[in-house]
Amino acid sequence: MDSLDEKDVVALCGQVGAVLLENGAETSRVENTVEYIGRAVNLPIICHATMTAVFVNSEKSATTRIFKVRVGDFNLQKVDRINTLSREFSQHKMTFKELKESVTEVEYDTSDFNLFEKCLGAGLVSVAPMLLFKATWFDLFLSFFVGILGYLVARVVGQHSKIPYIAVAMGGLSISILAHILLDMGIASSANNIIISALMPLVPGVPMTNSLREIIEKNTISGLVRATDAIMAGISIGSGVVIGQILIKAVLGG
Amino acid sequence: MQILLGFIFGFLSSVGFGIVTNNPRRTLMPAGWIGAIAWVIYIVAGWYDHGVIMPNLLSAVVIGLLGNLAAILVRAPVNIFYVPCLVSLVPGAIIYDSMKNFTLGYDNLAAHGLIKALTVGLSLAIGFIIAEAISNKIYPPLKKYLEQKNR
Repeated sequence: MDSLDEKDVVALCGQVGAVLLENGAETSRVENTVEYIGRAVNLPIICHATMTAVFVNSEKSATTRIFKVRVGDFNLQKVDRINTLSREFSQHKMTFKELKESVTEVEYDTSDFNLFEKCLGAGLVSVAPMLLFKATWFDLFLSFFVGILGYLVARVVGQHSKIPYIAVAMGGLSISILAHILLDMGIASSANNIIISALMPLVPGVPMTNSLREIIEKNTISGLVRATDAIMAGISIGSGVVIGQILIKAVLGG
Repeated sequence: MQILLGFIFGFLSSVGFGIVTNNPRRTLMPAGWIGAIAWVIYIVAGWYDHGVIMPNLLSAVVIGLLGNLAAILVRAPVNIFYVPCLVSLVPGAIIYDSMKNFTLGYDNLAAHGLIKALTVGLSLAIGFIIAEAISNKIYPPLKKYLEQKNR
């Protein structure tokens, strides 16, 4: 273990932290995992993670690295795999070189559910249990498909545009347009119920709760960053829906 | 009837969000069960308390306890169970509604909705803290037992 280069260890730890943070792990877990890896190779490491960067510092000498992070969507599979890797490494089932290779592999891995399963998942989320006894069954049935459409639009726009928040706004816009068209054609009985239900996959409820959890755990900076992000996403979804409503009124004269 | 339907749709919604967030396949089923149980707790608590705090707090405690248990049994980070189970409880629709009012210029309604969203979010977060405090005391012996059994 002595032959390890200190810089290598710090770089790898930073990489691990960045992958974890980008894919939706909490700040405390990121810091713990990185420090855990450091302890496993007998190199005391201090890690500080905020939502925008990971700082990794080795205590033996003045080696510090900063990794910039752009927090994206949840991809919990990567979090799980990194977690498994770090556990195996700290139990010495794996050499440092192997760990390095597998972390890089996980970072660029795009394994995912296929598009059909994703759509099915988004549709299932779109049938919100919150509305089970408030909306009619047929509205919920419609929102299954409207939700899939909104999710697809958000996904496609997100792949083609780097402007933040535009994806969710477009998702909200298309959901709103479709719901109002369904209402005007007399198929649906309440546009608002369909919109709320179909927005469930896009809406930033989980980040909001996570941000409050982080604030309670005294990771104030990351908590505030997440909260601002959630509110901005909420604003863009809201504006998307309102713009859709206005457009439909202008076109159909409702 | 209400409980049965709530159970089914809570399950489906948790599994669905698990797929959207790309959960590992082995964690989908446990996450679904936990989400379903939490939703039933939410419904039952809603019969006795009409506010937003108690139902959310109780279901968050349940998610926290069961999630930590599942994390030990399936060997995965706890967050993997929290995220999909939360999706049906979370104040997403309220945030959206409040921001829509904000865009339309109804500031009072917007502020009301935002405070409600914060209340729901805080009660969920406090529920998790309570559950974590409990499970940090209860589960380590269980973990040790399982490790010895596997050896």
